[in-house]
Amino acid sequence: MSEHARLPVDLSLTPGAPPRRWMPALAAGLSIGEYARSLERRLALLAAVIVLAVWALAGQGYFWPAWVWLGVGVLVLLDFAAGWAWRRPPGAVRRVACVWALVAVAAVILVFTWLLTWLLAGAHSFWPAWALFGLASAGSAYSLIALQDRVLVARGRRALRARIDLLTHTRRQAVDAQAVELRRIERDLHDGAQARLVALTLQLGRAELRAHDQPEVRALIQEAQREAHHAIAELRDLARGIVPPLLADRGLVAAVESLAARYGLGTAIEADTRRSLAPAVESAAYFVIAEALTNAAKHARARRTWVLLSDERRALRVCVGDDGCGGADAEGSGLAGLRARVEALDGRLAVRSPPGSGTLVEAIIPCA
Amino acid sequence: MRVVIAEDLALLREGLVALLRENDIEVVAQVHDGPGLLRAISGHQPDLAIVDVRLPPTFSDEGLQAAIEARRRQPELGVLVLSQYVETAYASELIGENTAGIGYLLKERVGDVRAFLDALHRVAAGGTVIDRQVVTQLLAPREGAGDALGDLTAREREVLALMAEGRSNAAIAESLFVSAGAVEKHITNIFAKLALPACGDDHRRVLAVLAYLQAAH
Repeated sequence: MSEHARLPVDLSLTPGAPPRRWMPALAAGLSIGEYARSLERRLALLAAVIVLAVWALAGQGYFWPAWVWLGVGVLVLLDFAAGWAWRRPPGAVRRVACVWALVAVAAVILVFTWLLTWLLAGAHSFWPAWALFGLASAGSAYSLIALQDRVLVARGRRALRARIDLLTHTRRQAVDAQAVELRRIERDLHDGAQARLVALTLQLGRAELRAHDQPEVRALIQEAQREAHHAIAELRDLARGIVPPLLADRGLVAAVESLAARYGLGTAIEADTRRSLAPAVESAAYFVIAEALTNAAKHARARRTWVLLSDERRALRVCVGDDGCGGADAEGSGLAGLRARVEALDGRLAVRSPPGSGTLVEAIIPCA
Repeated sequence: MRVVIAEDLALLREGLVALLRENDIEVVAQVHDGPGLLRAISGHQPDLAIVDVRLPPTFSDEGLQAAIEARRRQPELGVLVLSQYVETAYASELIGENTAGIGYLLKERVGDVRAFLDALHRVAAGGTVIDRQVVTQLLAPREGAGDALGDLTAREREVLALMAEGRSNAAIAESLFVSAGAVEKHITNIFAKLALPACGDDHRRVLAVLAYLQAAH
């Protein structure tokens, strides 16, 4: 932010009142303060010229006007330095600026005085050196102490920002990696454990055929087969809960179409997205739609539902609406779980469900 | 009967081959991916292909795509697709236009050896066999929906699911531990509730049921 944006440079520009102009002399558009300063500088210049003229007319001799110049110059310089310091932002910075303004004025007085004594009374050593050094040291020490907090805060703020950026980045990576990992687990369950159990039931089936004349053995084998079937069904439910196989195999649109067909709600699907979606985004979008359609079918007694997928700038927009009875509890466990899921991707989930006029669930999920 | 098997898990593939050979079914080729299936079919001209839905290299629906392509090239080929999970979209894609000689079963149905062999023979003979889970999935959200399907009793749903597998009345009766007469009564009720034309043929019955379920969407 520039300094000008923060500071009222023109003090007459107070809100609500038109700028006060003073005299035709201000035709150039100067404010009172600026006008006073320019007038002051002109008067100082005039005074300097007058004393020079008086000295010249009075027969010259000792060049006393230099001391008048010093006095007038210090006044102008003080005014200039005070104005400069006052334009700093209030607080520590302004205090430091005031200190440095005084240091500068004092330094000018010292150097000018030395210059005059050197010119008027002949050469001698540069006596203000130690005084100047002392002033500079005092000013620096004061600045360091007064601005220490600001320096630390600025450094802390930069560090915080870097940390937030890093955390945002690594969280997204973690969520993406988790989604990829979950799909691998789903695949492993189907193609690994479940497939082996299927092979097992096949062997058991063959054994059962051979044991047709041994009823006790047959009963044992059938029992084992029932257990294997239960295990297969449980694995399948587990895998489906992790990620629906159609989503993993054919992507979001196919999975949503299948879901809609299963609910038989006459769902209108409009997919206007050409992005290839990361698994985490795809899964989040799918579960938003699945939950919304489940609610529409089970609780809202909806007759019509619609799903809209569209590309936003750097995000996927998912809208699910129904014409059911509305009044869905946005903080209920299902929708709250979805919100957590979407927010983990830095997305937003909104639910509008006024009683009696349908439900609209909208999620915006950022895509990297 | 001459059969080609496309399955990537060696354990299951070998088990299937052993099972079929024990039951006098000739396994002319075993392959483990989609392109291999298409080559085997054009090379061996089998009566039936048993295909796993997920095959290398993509492990998505490679097997299903290969099966559909194989049927396109050789329409009289019977295809039995085995899947780890039931997906109604896969069933309807597979059935497509040509309903003869199509089977879609959950993989674990191979454990019920007799029913599985029966299904193989029916598909090879041009019948249609759809896993009962497909029907269950199509029916599930309709409970209490107030339409004709919602009016079916739990027992009628079970019978409907078994009918979709192309089973005869006797087989359904055996599976549910009821008399053949009871099954006939259930079937009459189902057809009446769904307003389907009654027909005795098992195959046409399956198709009528599936057509109804799909049209209901």
